[in-house]
Amino acid sequence: MFKLKVSDAKLLRDMTTAISILVDEATFKIDPHSIKLRAMDPSRVAMVDFEWSKTVFEEYICTESTKMCINISELLKLLKRAGKDEVVELSLDEKTGRLQVKITGKYTRNFTMPTLEASEEEVPTPKLTFNVRAKATTGGLSQAIEDAQLVSDHVRIEADAEKIVFNATGDLMGATISLQKGSDTLLDLEAKESSKATFSLSYLSEIIKAAAATSDIATIEFSTDMPIKLDFQQAKEGKLMFYLAPRIETE
Amino acid sequence: MTSSYRQVNKGSPNVWLLDILKESIAKSDISYDESTIVAKFSKSGLCVACKGSKFLCGKTRCPIIVKANYFLKSIPLMQSEDIVGASPPSVFVGRIGYPYVYAGPLVPPVQEDTTIYDLPELWFGKTIDEIVGFRSMLIRGKHRVHVQKFEEAGKIIEKTRELALAVNSVDVELLLKSKPRGSIVLDDEIQPFGPSAPIRDLRVGNARWDHHIEKAYGDTDLKAAEAVLEIYNRGVFVTKIQRAFSIGAFGLEKNRRLVPTRWSITAVDSILSKDLMEKVKTSPEINEYRVYESRYIDNIFEVLMIPGTWSYEAMEAWYPGTVWNPQGRNIVMFSDWEGYNGRTTYAEIGGCYYAARLAVCEKLVKERRQATVIVLREAHPGYIMPVGVWQVRENVRNAMRQKPSNFNTMDEALKFIASRFQIPLQQWITKSELLKNALFQKKITDFLMKRGSLA
Repeated sequence: MFKLKVSDAKLLRDMTTAISILVDEATFKIDPHSIKLRAMDPSRVAMVDFEWSKTVFEEYICTESTKMCINISELLKLLKRAGKDEVVELSLDEKTGRLQVKITGKYTRNFTMPTLEASEEEVPTPKLTFNVRAKATTGGLSQAIEDAQLVSDHVRIEADAEKIVFNATGDLMGATISLQKGSDTLLDLEAKESSKATFSLSYLSEIIKAAAATSDIATIEFSTDMPIKLDFQQAKEGKLMFYLAPRIETE
Repeated sequence: MTSSYRQVNKGSPNVWLLDILKESIAKSDISYDESTIVAKFSKSGLCVACKGSKFLCGKTRCPIIVKANYFLKSIPLMQSEDIVGASPPSVFVGRIGYPYVYAGPLVPPVQEDTTIYDLPELWFGKTIDEIVGFRSMLIRGKHRVHVQKFEEAGKIIEKTRELALAVNSVDVELLLKSKPRGSIVLDDEIQPFGPSAPIRDLRVGNARWDHHIEKAYGDTDLKAAEAVLEIYNRGVFVTKIQRAFSIGAFGLEKNRRLVPTRWSITAVDSILSKDLMEKVKTSPEINEYRVYESRYIDNIFEVLMIPGTWSYEAMEAWYPGTVWNPQGRNIVMFSDWEGYNGRTTYAEIGGCYYAARLAVCEKLVKERRQATVIVLREAHPGYIMPVGVWQVRENVRNAMRQKPSNFNTMDEALKFIASRFQIPLQQWITKSELLKNALFQKKITDFLMKRGSLA
């Protein structure tokens, strides 16, 4: 049996939104200790790695490990009906294979939605060594990305021991956004060697915007022409990480 | 876009155009009333210097002369206020003055089966001359009406709808308030047609309706988009659906309205391809790089399908001297694209984006496969005037009927395309979001493979 209860609907909604950026049908792994998801977007350019420990929930019951696949955007539609302080309960009816979504606030709403065939694909995490590690506010990152989006669809991120620079070059315009180590935005920076890599701004901005709702501080790690890892620090015991593959322009 | 013309007055520096007309008229021995001839010409200074003889604009034939020829053929059509003929059927809803628009039937003074006059599905392979030839026979009756109050607009609109829903050509008596006048309107989205005049009265013979369309017309609880899909899935031609759509035959009762012809064409292409896209997205990806090709009226299409999730781009390149690049010295390229999740804004390149999207989705759905699709189009100078969005839809559909050239790598596929096109590959790549993506954007899986596996 599987059942969970969240006392703040917003928390669940924001996390679901962040996952929905990349995946439409999500297969969650559920065990007695936590609920996990690791999945790539359909074009396999980005990956989300999510985990919530049972301590996040007001109530968490899982008697045996299982997988549950649901349509995330459909779930999100239901969660959007819940107000900020309303209580949400999810429970899986194993006989019918349907997920019950109960929202309790001023009144009680009971929705049911189907579960889908769980994906058998095991997605490993990329084993990467990173040369740059930076800690930044998600608000600051969002702003830098928005600046770059004004001129281009992709951005080159360069880092050395002192600063991170976002470089965007469009057909006509260009933008350079610098974050200095120790500034209000860039809280910490370690660079084993100077590194640079280019990424799609549409992916970056969607990921950062959605994840910023769940987190104030992100750790980003990357190396030259390798995927970037964005780890959004969670208030409660859990993780939300994204990996995004680079663009490498060759002739 | 209607090409820019203005009226020639006697004594204006462009009398040469009237002279060309008069000369041709004398040759072809047509009696005419001078006041009915309205010559409109391009604002371009080139035409004055060239007068149709030197091809300064770069086109392979002078579009003014071609138009003038058909204009002359339609002069006999302008002799009477009463037109008796068989409508293909065909209707036209204008967009100028929206929501007060001119709507009415198109009727040629021909009493035989004219079905083909308004069925672009059957036009592929015909020359520009043939198409402009029969389109210029279509006389447009106009009746001013508010798009949402067409039910109260009386008999003329009622009769227009009656004929619009017909399965075959319908006998029509189109009684006009004046002799029809006007030049051939050439437009990139709508099929060309002949002279026009306001309607005095309209009589329509017995029309048998397409029963799928009739059913949707009778169902005032069926949403327009659902009606369009339903009828399309029953095998009705896109043109017929679009015609009924424009005359306000679909939708919830309170929402029914007339839709300007050019909007309705794109609306139907968009509704249909959107539905097909969802089917494409649930199908397995193709395994090889494919290139499909079609050439028609000097428009060359190369359609590249890349193994991957659904996304779509349409690009067109206009040579100097072609319709939308008359004065340029350089090739002009336009592009628009959408990712896996589709788009929410109107594609800048216009109706052809949606027409080509429909054609490629039809193919993928039929095959139950998924791919990233890039439609590349070179318009060459032989494409002297726009004939309508159908050209793109049918040209790409034709490409989809051909056996593709298959390749194992993106590189080989691009080399092949380069060998078929005149514009260098690098120019296409620079302008194309999806080509750049396919070439430069790495995947997470590229980095999973490197470790722990033999690759």
